[in-house]
Parts: sequence; structure tokens; C-alpha cells
Amino acid sequence: MKRKKIDWLLLLLTILLVFIGITLIYSASCGIKTELSNLASRQTVWMAIGIFFLFLFIALPYRNLRKASYFLYLFSLLLLLLVLLIGKGRAGSSRWLILKGFYFQPSEFSKLIFILVAARYLTDVGKKLKRFGFLIPYFLLSGIPFLLILKQPNLGTALVLLPIALGMLWAAGIRKKHLIFLIILGFLSLPILWFTVLKEYQRARLLVFINPNADPLGSGYNIIQSRIAIGSGGLFGKGFLQGTQSHLAFLPEYHTDFIFCVLAEEWGFIGGMVLLFLYSLFLKSLIRAATTASEPFGRLVATGIAVMFASHIFINIGMTLGMLPVAGLPLPFLSYGGSSLLTFLIAVGIVLNIRKSKTIF
Amino acid sequence: MDRIRGLSHLIYFSFIPLFCGLIYTQLFQYYRYRRLSNLNSIRVIDLDIPRGTIFDRNGRVLVKDRPCFNLCFVPFDLRNPQTASSILAPVINIPKQKTESAFRKDYPNPFEQQWLKRDLNQKEVAFVEEKAKQLSGIFIQVGLKRDYKLGEKAAHLLGYLGEVSPEELKKKLKAERIKAGDLVGKEGIEKVFDSLLKGTRGGIRVEVDARGHKVRTLGKKESSPGNNIILTINRSIQKSIAENLGGYRGSVVVMDPRNGEILGLVSKPSFDPDDISSCLTHPGRPFFNRAIKGCYPPGSIYKIITELSALEKGVITPSDKLECKGELEVAEGERIRLFHCWIDRKTDEYKQHGWIDINTALPQSCNIFFGQVGLMVGARRLLNYGKRFGLGTPTGIDLPGEKAGSIPPPQLSGGALNLSIGQGALLVTPTQLASLIATIANGGNIWQPEVIKDIVDPTGNEILSFTPHLRGSIFIPEENLSLLREGLYNVVEQGTGKNSKVPGLTICGKTGTAQIAKAELELPTHGAFICYAPRENPTISLCVFLDTASSAEAALIAGRILKDIFFPEENEEKKD
Repeated sequence: MKRKKIDWLLLLLTILLVFIGITLIYSASCGIKTELSNLASRQTVWMAIGIFFLFLFIALPYRNLRKASYFLYLFSLLLLLLVLLIGKGRAGSSRWLILKGFYFQPSEFSKLIFILVAARYLTDVGKKLKRFGFLIPYFLLSGIPFLLILKQPNLGTALVLLPIALGMLWAAGIRKKHLIFLIILGFLSLPILWFTVLKEYQRARLLVFINPNADPLGSGYNIIQSRIAIGSGGLFGKGFLQGTQSHLAFLPEYHTDFIFCVLAEEWGFIGGMVLLFLYSLFLKSLIRAATTASEPFGRLVATGIAVMFASHIFINIGMTLGMLPVAGLPLPFLSYGGSSLLTFLIAVGIVLNIRKSKTIF
Repeated sequence: MDRIRGLSHLIYFSFIPLFCGLIYTQLFQYYRYRRLSNLNSIRVIDLDIPRGTIFDRNGRVLVKDRPCFNLCFVPFDLRNPQTASSILAPVINIPKQKTESAFRKDYPNPFEQQWLKRDLNQKEVAFVEEKAKQLSGIFIQVGLKRDYKLGEKAAHLLGYLGEVSPEELKKKLKAERIKAGDLVGKEGIEKVFDSLLKGTRGGIRVEVDARGHKVRTLGKKESSPGNNIILTINRSIQKSIAENLGGYRGSVVVMDPRNGEILGLVSKPSFDPDDISSCLTHPGRPFFNRAIKGCYPPGSIYKIITELSALEKGVITPSDKLECKGELEVAEGERIRLFHCWIDRKTDEYKQHGWIDINTALPQSCNIFFGQVGLMVGARRLLNYGKRFGLGTPTGIDLPGEKAGSIPPPQLSGGALNLSIGQGALLVTPTQLASLIATIANGGNIWQPEVIKDIVDPTGNEILSFTPHLRGSIFIPEENLSLLREGLYNVVEQGTGKNSKVPGLTICGKTGTAQIAKAELELPTHGAFICYAPRENPTISLCVFLDTASSAEAALIAGRILKDIFFPEENEEKKD
């Protein structure tokens, strides 16, 4: 086994993005005199924990993940079930498990674990994937966590599983006509999803997306405020801590799902462009890890992780710009939230590991 | 490999719409959003949550929402709290310090409006409008006010609204989208059926000027009304009870003995549902609903139970006579206890009834007769018979906080002698007594007292319908029942309940005078009267229970109420 060097660019980009995130969280929560005022320091603690895990996953040969994948998968399903049974949350949803005072959100980890188990299955099946019958277990693997997360209900996270599952199928070599068939099937099943699985408020959100003025109190308000925050940033932005719209008072979710508004308001179009540039470099590194991976499992895992990050970025920023419906989904490394930050950092750790291992099987 | 490259192109391609979105929002729309942001000018104002109307059994309104003007403020928009509070203080009748501290409080969301005072009058509205320039962030918003048509006459029944308490908020916030400052039902029907009465909140999105005053409405979400409730209460009866009870402390329950429907329920002293704060310091516990929470000794009313259980056990027949010499010596262990008949207020002496049978003993409410009978029956049986009538258990009326009263175990009851005349450790509520007399009236059915008839949604569809519910029944042999009823009739015709007599109406009733402390002659007594009418085909049963008065006064009130029910004056009806 020949070792390659760590991808320093990817590591640096990651840490840089986390620091940008902490700055933005600090700005979003400054001037607030509630229990939310120390969000930035809490996120710093999460960053420290996350970076520890990142290095742990660099050190640990990633093939162990392949072995453990089914076990991890069952474990994640169990946690998702627990969330439905005893989870805590707000506004009628339950997303968190509380362990010794720590809030933790199994749906975040389950995305990453799904990537591992999907890669394991697809590499186990190998060339037989050309036969449609071998797709059916794959549907079950992706369908179960999808439905469990949707039931919480957490529309955003559930939906992210779809591009990941499809992207990995594509990378694993599914027949084109099968893929097209699947996509058509997916569109046909949308009405069923709409009437059976979606909650009233989720339907409302989707409808509000079409007409924000329909619900000035609920998510329509979020979209309008978010657009005012971004738009008023202009070319150069209002400056650090100078944002007026994007502070907690206006919208309770500015530090989590709407963190991009803080950046766009305070650092303007330039700031937004820099962020998109950093993200595209970051994604490029991930894709490079996929293309240079020496064996299929690593290649598929890296692909899945790249699709995961790309979907998060696209859906989150699209949502804050009012181009996509409001679906609570964190912006990688920037949004406040321990579970998601930890997941993202571990994901980077795994990719760094894949990148540095040039394994000949 | 090619496929991953293809995928990567798709990923990079997905950045293009984001890029375009940013250009459009931040560069092309910059001036528009900059303006909106500079003005910081969009506010969301919550409207009051509408509540359903409560009707009486004949469709007459008991309580209804009406529009009102509320004085609100948005903490973020306040400029000079001190001046504002001193301008407002003299007119809106809230101390300056209180207003100012409300202004200076830290609110979790400074953009959310807070209420300073609800339901301003014309003068106050005009004043605030006039001073608008000096009142940044303070404005008048149209809201909803509960209009209690009977005021304090139906206060315990209907309840009142108050701002949600922190504990309630914890429980309700999640499920019902209630926020601090919202009004919720605090007592009575308003409390029990709060979630059904409540509609859903609406709101408006407005653009405000630099003073935080509305420039224009940008969007509106209509609120939707709650469900309406139809009660079994008869508004005229409710009113009549409250008026006839006058200044007494006590309660009255009027029930239909055929199905348990409550036609009227009043507890006094009462409170004004529109002005809770001024009633808080009242010494007579005005918020205490005596009709369902007051636990009293039943006094001589319990002789009904004594008589029925004695006849059932066969310890006495209608022709048996016992002598009343005004007092009775009873051996209690070592001691000899002197047990008295009641005191005749005219002569100030213990009543001596001589040789009497059960037919005279009940109307005369002779303690000596029933004491001896009670001893023959025994404490256990006396208590059990009371239990069979549902005493000692809550009746299940749909009002909050009903008490069970208490039927003690025989060894703690105070003995058969005391029990036979309703003293001892027995405790009952006025509602239980109304139910007891209703059971006598209908011949043995114990109905659950109901105050709700129907709950209908705003479009008129029935959501819940309450049908009479039989809690239990008790078999009373016909001959015992008619003997008892004859006695109850004579109570009113020639006995202790004479005061309740109404010309043209046959009434069966029983008085009860319970001593608060045993044999303390100076202490005031509870005075109670229960009755039903008309004798042949009873449609009304009622209980009047006065905290400190004689049973004769209770009977008088009962008579007046019955008169209003059966012979309503015509002009009275027109007024409604």
C-alpha cells in the first residue's frame, strides 16, 4: 500500500469555512440577551470536537467503514426510530435525541451512513447492477431512512437523500434507461407523497413558495425577510456586525438555516461570490478524491459525499434567495448546529482518508 | 470515471442559478431591498384569536366576541419610553411606572407586538390618535373583546378570559400556537372548552413609517372563527336565580329532573368577567364556584335518605309513632349525650312534637324522630344509602374543579344519630343535592348534570352533541317513594318549607339547616332548600344553598325562582 499526502487544500478550505461560519453566527446572535447569546462559543466547541473526529477518520483506514457499514446502518435506523418515539423538537416535529444534555440529531448522521451502506451494496453487486432486479434492495436501503426522516418530519434532510442515492447509482454504472425510468417514477409518485406523507405545514410551505404573501406570518415572512436581508447587502455589504435585517430578532432561524443571509447582508455580493468560489474549490477537491480513488468503494463514497455537500449548498442558498421552497437544511460548515457540523467534518475526514490511500486490492 | 465527471459538471452547473439569483437580488433589486431594509419597515401584527359564541338553550346569546380597540406597542419601535408613559398614564389609567417597565422589559423578539391595554373607550382612542406623533411604536389595533351579556350573573358558569400564564404557555404553546399575552379561558365553560371555542389566529403584514405606525397593509391572513357552544342553560332562569339570590352568599342549581340538564347555576358573591382585577381582593372568595366546589353538611335534607333507608330496612312503618319531647338522652359509651330537636325561633325553645309518625316528622323536620330512626338503621346503612344517590362522588358536570364532597367510613362518620339529621362528617355539594332531589322527582334515575347541549362549527355542522347520560339508578319501592313525596309536599304546604309556596304550583321540597359547629347556638347556620315541581309531573328540580342564613330564607328564594320559571312576567321576557 503506497501512501499519498493529505490533501491540504481540502483541509484548509474546510477549516476556513468553519471559521467563517463561527464569525457569522457571532454576528447573527450579537446584541441578543437570551440564552442564544453564546451560540458562537458553543459552535467553537463543536468545531473542536468535529476536527478531532476529522483527524480520527483520516487515521482510521476507511475500509473498516466498509465492513461496519451494515451495522452502522442498522444502528442509524434504530436512532431514527427512537427519534420518532421519544424525540424532542418544536412546532410538532421531533428531530433531536437528548443524551446527557446534548441535543443530537440522528438524521444528520444517517445521511453519511447511508452513503457508506449504499457504496457497500453497490460495490458488492458490481456489474450485476445492470439488471433491474438488483436495484430493488437499493430502494429499500434508501427508502427506509427516507421515510423515517420524512416522518419526523424533516423534509429537507429527507429530500437530500434522493440526489445522493441517484448520484451514487449513476456513478456505480446504472443503465441510463433505468435511471430515466426511476426519475419518471419519482415524479409520478409526487402526488402520493403530497397527500399521504407531507404534513399540513410542509404543504403550506411549498404553497407559500409560489405566493409568499399567502402566509405573511409563517414561512412567507421568512422568505420576504431573507430576501430583504440579502438584497440590501448590495455589492459590498453593510460590514461585519452591521447587518440590520439578519439578526435573530427578525427571524429565529438566522443562525441555522438562514445563515447565508447574514453573510450576504454584511459582506454583500462580493462576500457571496467568495463563498461560492470557496465552495466550488471545496467540491472540486471532493470530486478529485472520487476520480483518483483507487477502488470502487472509496470512489462511490467520495462521490456520495460530494453530492451531499453540493445538494446542501444548492438547496440552502436557493431557499434563502427565494428560488426554492423553505426546507430546513443547514449550509455546510456555516449553519449553527452540532450534529450537522460533526457530520460534515467527519465526511471531510473520510474523503481525506480516501484521497491519501492509494490502495491496490 | 466519465460518469463522475459528468456528475461534477452537473454540480458546477448548479452554481449558475445561485450566481444569477445573487446578481438579481443584490445588484438588480438592491435599491428596492435597501429601502425596505433602511426603513426596517415591515412588521407582522398578530390579530386576536376569535372565539365561538356561547348560546343558551333557546339560542339567546350568553357571550360573544365584539370588536374593540387595543393599545399595542412594538418594543423595537419605542423611542422614548419615559415620555410616552407619562403621556399615556393619566388617560389610560395605568400607573406610569407600570407602563414604563413594560416598555423597558427585554422581549425575546422586540418586533413582536405587546398589549398595553385592551378595549379602549372612545375617549382613549381619540387621545392616542391625537398624540400619535409623540408615541413612537405605540399604536391602536382592532381586536376582539368577549361580551358577557349576563355579566356577573353567569360568571362562574361561563368563566372569563385572562392572559395565558407561563405554566399554561409551556403546556399549550407547542400544540396550539399560543403566545405570551394571548387570552385563554380561565374558568367555567371558557376554560373547559377553550380549545374548541378558539379559532385560528390571523395576522397582517404592514409597512410602517419611522414611528412604527402603519403606512399600508401588505398582506393579510384572515383569522377563522372557533366553534359555537349551545348550553342547556336557560338565560331567563339564570338571570332570575342571580336576581333572587341577591346579596346572599351561596349558590343555586336548577336542573331538569327528566334528563339532568342544568337550566341555571349561580354562585354568589360573583365576579365581573370584564373586570377581574377589582374582584381579586374581595373577601367573599368571588371566584369560588360554591355550586360545585362548596362542600357543606347537608343538614336535615339528609332526612330524605334516613327515611328511605328506614322504610327499606323496615325498621319503621308509616303508622309507627315515636315521641319527641324536645330532647333525647343517648348513651355514647360512658357518657350520656343530650340530643335536641331544633330551636323554634319564635319561642327560643327546643321544639316538642309529641307523638308523631313519619308523615308529620318529615314536614316538621323532627330531629328526635329521625334520630331514633337513624339509630335503628345504623350508620353504615345511612352512609351507603347516601352513596347510592351519588353523594360523595363528583357528579361529572362539565365545569372545572368540581369537588366530590365526602361520605366518610362509618367509624369516622360521627355516628348514626348525627348522620340521620345530616350532621356528622358528611359533606355534599349543592349540585349533588340538586341531583338528589331530581332523583326523587324522577323516581330513581341519577342523571349526570349537563351544561352543554351541542357544539357546532362555524358553518353550523354539529361537532359534539351531548345526550342525557344516566350515571346510575336506584330502585325505590313505589309505596316508600309516594310516602316520601307526600312528606316533601307537606314540607312546603304546612311544614318548614312554607316560605317556598307558590300559588297555583305544587312543590315538594325539604329544608336543611346545618350547623357549622355542633350546638353552638350563636354561630350562623347554613340554610338550604331543595325541591322539585310540579308534584305530579316534575320538570324542575332545584337546590338553594346559603352560606350563612336560615333554611326559611332559602325556601323563600326557591319559591321566587319557581314563580319566575312557571309564571314568567311578560314584560320580563320582552326585555331579553
